[in-house]
Amino acid sequence: MIVKKGSFVIEGLENVQINIGKIGAEQEQAVEGPTPRPEVISLRNWDYRILDRYNPVYTPTSDICDYCTYGKCDLTGNKEGACGIDLEGQSARQALMISVMGAACHSAHGRHLLHYLIKKYGEDHLIDVGPSNLKAPLTETIMGIQPQTIGDFLPVLDYIEEQLTQLMAAANTGQEGSSRDFESKALHAGMLDLLGMEVADIIQISCMGLPKSDEKTPMAEIGMGILDPKKPVVICVGHNIAAPAYILDNMDRNGQFDKIEIAGLCCTAHDMTRYNRNAKIIGSMSKELKYIRSGIPDVLVTDEQCVRADILKEAKKLHIPVIATNEKITYGLPDRSNDSVDAIIDDLVSGKQDGALLLDLEKVGELVPKLAMKMGPIRKAKGLTALPNEEEFKKLVAKCTKCLQCTRDCPQSLPIGDAMAAAAGGDLVPFEILHDKCVGCGRCDYSCPVDIPVLNVIEKAAQRVIREEKGKMRIGRGQIGDPEIREEGRNLVLGTTPGVLAFVGCGNYPDGTKDVYDIVEEMIQRSYIIISSGCAAMDIGMYKDKEGKTLYERYPGRFIKGNLLNTGSCVSNAHIAATTIKVASIFAGRKTKGNWEEIADYVLNRVGAVGIAWGAYSQKAFAIATGCNRLGIPVVAGPHGTKYRRAFIGKPYRKEDWNVLDGRDGSVVNVEPAPEHLMITAETKEELMPLLAKLCFRPSDNSLGRAIKLTHYIELSEKYLKKMPEDWHVYVRSEQDLPVAKREQLMKLLEERGWKIDWEKKKITEGPLRKVDVSFQPTNVPRLCKEAKK
Amino acid sequence: MKYGDQEENMANEFPFEISPMFEGERVRKDDMFVELAGPKSRGFELVRAAGSDEIKDGKFSLIGPDISEMQEGSRHPFAMIYRIAGKLVEPDLEAIVERRNHDFQNYIQGYMHLNQRYDVWVRINKDAIKKGLKSFEQIAKATMMLFRNELPFIEKIEATYITNPEEVEKQRAEAIKIYETRDARTRGLHDEDVDVFYGCTLCQSFAPTNVCVVTPDRISLCGAINWFDGRAAAKVDPEGPQFAIPKGEIIDKEGGEYSGVNEKAVALSGGEYSRIKIHSFFDYPHTSCGCFEVVGFYIPEVDGIGWVDRDYAGTAPNGLAFSTMAGQTGGGKQIIGFLGVGVNYFRSPKFIQPDGGWNRVVWMPKNLKEKIKADIPPELADKVPTEDDASDLKTLRDFLEKKQHPVTQRWTKEETAAEAAPEEAGSLAASAPGWSVPAPTMSMPPGMPAMPQMQFGGSEGVKITFKNAKITIDRIVLKGKEK
Repeated sequence: MIVKKGSFVIEGLENVQINIGKIGAEQEQAVEGPTPRPEVISLRNWDYRILDRYNPVYTPTSDICDYCTYGKCDLTGNKEGACGIDLEGQSARQALMISVMGAACHSAHGRHLLHYLIKKYGEDHLIDVGPSNLKAPLTETIMGIQPQTIGDFLPVLDYIEEQLTQLMAAANTGQEGSSRDFESKALHAGMLDLLGMEVADIIQISCMGLPKSDEKTPMAEIGMGILDPKKPVVICVGHNIAAPAYILDNMDRNGQFDKIEIAGLCCTAHDMTRYNRNAKIIGSMSKELKYIRSGIPDVLVTDEQCVRADILKEAKKLHIPVIATNEKITYGLPDRSNDSVDAIIDDLVSGKQDGALLLDLEKVGELVPKLAMKMGPIRKAKGLTALPNEEEFKKLVAKCTKCLQCTRDCPQSLPIGDAMAAAAGGDLVPFEILHDKCVGCGRCDYSCPVDIPVLNVIEKAAQRVIREEKGKMRIGRGQIGDPEIREEGRNLVLGTTPGVLAFVGCGNYPDGTKDVYDIVEEMIQRSYIIISSGCAAMDIGMYKDKEGKTLYERYPGRFIKGNLLNTGSCVSNAHIAATTIKVASIFAGRKTKGNWEEIADYVLNRVGAVGIAWGAYSQKAFAIATGCNRLGIPVVAGPHGTKYRRAFIGKPYRKEDWNVLDGRDGSVVNVEPAPEHLMITAETKEELMPLLAKLCFRPSDNSLGRAIKLTHYIELSEKYLKKMPEDWHVYVRSEQDLPVAKREQLMKLLEERGWKIDWEKKKITEGPLRKVDVSFQPTNVPRLCKEAKK
Repeated sequence: MKYGDQEENMANEFPFEISPMFEGERVRKDDMFVELAGPKSRGFELVRAAGSDEIKDGKFSLIGPDISEMQEGSRHPFAMIYRIAGKLVEPDLEAIVERRNHDFQNYIQGYMHLNQRYDVWVRINKDAIKKGLKSFEQIAKATMMLFRNELPFIEKIEATYITNPEEVEKQRAEAIKIYETRDARTRGLHDEDVDVFYGCTLCQSFAPTNVCVVTPDRISLCGAINWFDGRAAAKVDPEGPQFAIPKGEIIDKEGGEYSGVNEKAVALSGGEYSRIKIHSFFDYPHTSCGCFEVVGFYIPEVDGIGWVDRDYAGTAPNGLAFSTMAGQTGGGKQIIGFLGVGVNYFRSPKFIQPDGGWNRVVWMPKNLKEKIKADIPPELADKVPTEDDASDLKTLRDFLEKKQHPVTQRWTKEETAAEAAPEEAGSLAASAPGWSVPAPTMSMPPGMPAMPQMQFGGSEGVKITFKNAKITIDRIVLKGKEK
């Protein structure tokens, strides 16, 4: 008999047991805004509002297009290509593709985790992220639903995947032709990226016991000098905790944490420490090649994202077996998922195979510690390392002809030749300095005409500082809980917190890792709230003050002025953006479900938060930045950020760009350019810091807030650029907006500019663009004005 | 470039930088040149209002040794007395001005100021001395400059610092008397004693429709602004975000409803609401922005009000956590059934007065109770349960009954109360969720997980939705219809 699809009438039930898993009152799932599950063009009007003020500025690295066989087409001088696209369109199309790539990465990561976690914990496993009313702010705002269980995220990922497919399709030749709409689509991809990250982190926090909005997580050790190289060493590289979790569980069960060193490179390290406090952190992607070449790792475990393409090749030279655990990165390795652990180990230890693709994570957990115990003694006996010995080192540095080819090829243009000369004379300090500035890409190795393995030479020369490279990082906390935001509300309102700065992204810094530390130290002393995640969060913890303390040890981790928070890995970035949604919900009672535009409008006009991706390198970082932009959060990237080829720049001189509406009556108000840009790069840290202070201005600032923001803008400019900012007066609406310590001097300067001052009352009577009105309700969305609502 | 000249002038005037950046600066023992007052010595700070002709603006006097005469690593008693004058200056502002001494002095690089009044504790960094700090005059001049800039109602100011031990002792005794008089005035001042309240809309930059009414008996709910602060701020800038609200006619004395307040409320909330009863929980309650420290919640099953503070991580007897309930209120909206307040409001003699005041308080977390212990009426102290006594509605009810909590007297009147409540909500019922109506009592089979009662309401009865229910069936017998 065939049971067919359809409905049946059951006439009788006998011995039927109904198992009810949970009972709950029907949740109010009413969609509150107009755009639940926004389609590709649902938020286009909002995007236009952004793009019309913050015009895309392109810096293409190539002015040809060679995507299809019509081409390649020369797009210089406004020529159209064979398909009709021009350079502006082509540049915007690339922005879309980069954004989609990044978004795909995080959501595919989320998809992998969700599969795995549902299999292990079931769809009904409840979401638990800590004290929060909006447990999944991005999901609610975008999808219009309030997820309760991890299974509730299934349709969320379905949605993201569908949208990403639509977006990618639009990039094919003969599809979208308008640069403005390409950018709108890129913004859509950016938003999907934030959503994908939120899903990934919430499910792992909920299922795997990662810290839940915990301000007091313990410290993890970080640095190239923290491991005991005499013990067998396991290094996990990438972003996805699934495989490392099995290894950690296994080591826990077998009590192996004192026998084997286990640490991570890049974001997987974050999540390993969140999962198990015994795990350690080597550092960002910049350390991958350096650490592998040191020869210290005895087993390398790769998962996904930010894993170098040459890991297998490099590892093979030093007889370090590579276990690939994720189908996105397989290196041509044989799939051994169905083989016995012992058989695989035999093949790897004997060197018969260089590595294995192992998608059965249980087996990964069992195999890796065993393999490390075997490989450790063998490799250490042989003293395997890529670094030259003293003798070889001397010969190598003497070989340098100072042709400077390496400097030309170096992404950081480092003065390697000078360091070679100094080292030949016995002075290693220049190399020690280079070690910090070097991003470990290894391009110099290929550029040397006399075959000096340049990176190895740098690393050998820097051994002294590498041994000292031992920092502390506060383990990723997850979301920012509501009670903390509520408490901080008072500081935000009273102006004692000048802004929220999010230090995120990777390690492609223009001038070394220490910059991030320096910038954070300066800004945190000025009471900005510093939130970080990903590799930036690691690098902040790498340096110590005179007393030997890292910033994490000096500043607590609560969402309060002058605190330093680490949300966690790359996907924990989502919580930073999500915090702005919580602010809108908590303080303004803004409805969130399906209400992206209204929330983003609130954030853009009211929440002084800025993202800094000082060392951003990947497509993912671009996608995150683009997503933040769509939410109204400005982002600054380091100078390498120009290679993303697109910025969103405001034009303060075009007055009409800075008209906003007053939500109370729909009247048009011309405001100061705040925030001035949505996506911009800064060349140096000296340029960056005043810029950050400036990008914290918002039209809704009350005078207390504005005065403190202006104080830091002026002070940082004077301190680092040795001059008053040229546009400081633009942000002055009344004498109350002036920094209190310099009020009188600044009023004199304003008078010289032609402003009128009543010196008796110490009041500005004429000059400002507009008056301060704390009840002013700036909005860029006409339908949100009171009149429009009626 | 002109600014550069100015900068030099400023630099010449003070050998230290002045910026909020140095607020969090600590001077450790090893870096310390000198310690003033503090736990191992004596000192105080005091601001006094004076007549305009009594004061020579900018004057500084020092009684005792100056910084340059002090030995490195030494400790001295220290007092700072400021006298201020101006058309708007009055003794009620002294405390407000005095508190700012802490903020302003901390702007000075290399100078640490902790605590207030007779607990002040100051340290000066060695680096500050190296950079040219020699005299208290430099500190006093900088502080007075900041006072004048920030508080323009101060037209004249002079400072006297004392480092002479006997003189500090002598004047300290006087100062303590002044603090006591001031405190007595603050405690003795009530809503009925003043004609003017103060409104604060500072947080409209984030919470666009919120208006905080600050009265002698009601501190702002962020806890940062009391009636005196409001008064000072309104003097600095009468058109600013803190402003006077003439009380106008009394509409409801018990609930604290005034025509003046209502007028302002309509105007400043953007018409979001039109009436505020300052001390009421159920009836046109005061709105909140979001930074309240404690949220009060109505528990219909016992007809009482529970309170939970944001540091409490657990759930209240109604099964809900702070964050969940806080999420129902705030955002500058008038929500019946929840009320955000500052911890200080528990100290108000008019604390939810029309709703029964303390007699209606039926639960709070242990730590919160401890914090405000002194303000709980003694006869109720052991009748208000905490998480140790009541974790759910049943244990709550039992506890209240056992302790004969005054709220139990309302239970006999349950019927009437149940009917009165929705009426009270009046025109707001539409915006208010249905839980101002006491929920129907449901009897649950034992072992059933507790449900958040407030989700139910209205008269439609209970609707059960099976979600993700797995129905396990051994065998299906299909009696197919004939085709």
